[in-house]
Amino acid sequence: MQEIDSAIRLENVIQRRLNFELGPLNLDIPKGFITAIVGPNGCGKSSMFRLLLELEKPDGGKLSILEHTVGAGSDTELKQKIGYLPEHPYTGDDGMRASAKAEFYKFWYSNWDGNRYRELLRMLEVDDSGRLGKMSKGTRRKFDIALALAHAPELLLLDEPSSGLDPLAWKKMIELLHQYMDSGNRTIVMTSHIVEEVKRLADFIVFMADGRIIGMYEKDELFSSWQTLFLSGEGLNAEVAAAMPGQCGVEYAGGTTFRVITNDAAAAEAWREREGLRLVSRQMLTLDEILEALVLKDRKSYRFNDVKGARS
Amino acid sequence: MQLPIQLNEQSAEPLYYQIEVQLRALIVSGQLTEGTLLPSIREFAGMLKCSVITVRRVYSDLENEGLLRTRQGTGTYVAFVGEKERDRHRLAAVIEAIDQAVVAGKRGQCTVQELEELFSESIKKHYD
Repeated sequence: MQEIDSAIRLENVIQRRLNFELGPLNLDIPKGFITAIVGPNGCGKSSMFRLLLELEKPDGGKLSILEHTVGAGSDTELKQKIGYLPEHPYTGDDGMRASAKAEFYKFWYSNWDGNRYRELLRMLEVDDSGRLGKMSKGTRRKFDIALALAHAPELLLLDEPSSGLDPLAWKKMIELLHQYMDSGNRTIVMTSHIVEEVKRLADFIVFMADGRIIGMYEKDELFSSWQTLFLSGEGLNAEVAAAMPGQCGVEYAGGTTFRVITNDAAAAEAWREREGLRLVSRQMLTLDEILEALVLKDRKSYRFNDVKGARS
Repeated sequence: MQLPIQLNEQSAEPLYYQIEVQLRALIVSGQLTEGTLLPSIREFAGMLKCSVITVRRVYSDLENEGLLRTRQGTGTYVAFVGEKERDRHRLAAVIEAIDQAVVAGKRGQCTVQELEELFSESIKKHYD
C-alpha cells in the first residue's frame, strides 16, 4: 500500500483540568479517509477537537493539522482549509438572521462559495431568512452543516453531526458527506454515538475512554476480528475455552456449549480446529459491544499497571 | 446505481472476498454489461457499510483480472469480457459454490450417498 499522509497528528498531548486529565494522546489520522472517534460521554472527544482548533491550549505535547503545527505562527490560512461543526450551536448569535451569519462566514473565508451554500440550503431544505434562535434544533443543525461545508474545506471536523436531525435529514447528511469525500483528497474526522452512522461513514475508528485513546482500527478489520463463537465439544470447559486466542469473555451456554468472545477471529478459528471443537454458531459484535469490551479491558490493564507501579 | 450485492455478516469469509465473488458473478453473467459505470469507491462503501479500503481492494483485484477498467478522473467501468473468459469465470464460480456445499455437507456429517441424493433433489427442484 502507498504511504498515506496524515491530516492530524498528536504527540504526547496532555491537558490537565481540575477533575479531568486528557492524555497523553498519541494519534495519527490519515488524509483521504473518514475517521470516527467513539467513546463514552466525557471521554475527551470534544476537548480534543477544541485543542486541535486552538480554542484551548494543551499543557504539553505537540499537535499538527495539515502539516501546520498548532500554536506556531499565524493560522489564518490553515483555518480556511478546515470546516468545523461544534457539538452545540453557539447561542451568542441567536438574535442574528441566518443569512447575516452566512455573510459573516463569507467575510472570513476567502474560499466561500455562495453557489455551493445556496445548493446546500436547498438540499437540506433550510430557509436562511429567519433568526437563528427561532430555528428548531434540527433546522439549526442543518444550517450549521451547510455553513461548515460551504467553503469546500480540505478537512471537516464534525462533533456529533447528526444530533437533532430527523431520519430523512440524517440520510441527506450522509449523502452530502459522501459527495464531499468524492471530490478530491478530503478528510473527515467525526465523533458519533450512532452505530449506524459509523457503519455508513467511517473507514477508521478511534476508541477513547477516560481521556485516553485505547485503540485505532480499520473498520472492516475491526468488525471481522471481533466475534462471538458458540463452541461445543467433549471435554470443553471454561478453562479450555479461556485459552482461545484473543479471548475476551467466556460464558456457559448450556449442554457442552460455551460462548466465547474473541478479538482475533482468524487465530481463534485455527485454534478451534486444532482442539477439535465444533462451531455451533458465529456472531459479529456490534460497535457498542466492542467499545464496552475495549473499555473494560483498558480499565483492567490500567489499574493493574497502577498497582504494579505503586509496588515497585 | 444500486447493485444487488448482499453481505453475510455471519460468514467466516472476509468482506472483500464476499463482495468480489458477487461482483465478479454480476460481470461474467453479463448482468453488468461492458462499459457500465460502477459507483465511486466512496459511494459503494457507503452502500455496503464497509470501508473504502475494502472497496478499493475489490476494484483493484477485479481490474487485475481484466474485468474492470479504471479511467483516471472518470471512474471505474466494466471491461470487455471475451466469450472464453466468460465461460472460464462462469464455471469457476459454480465449481466454488458446489465445493462449499460439499464442505458444509461434510461438516454436517452427511455420507456421500446422502450428498448425492441432496444434489439430485436440488437439481430436480430448480431445473424441472
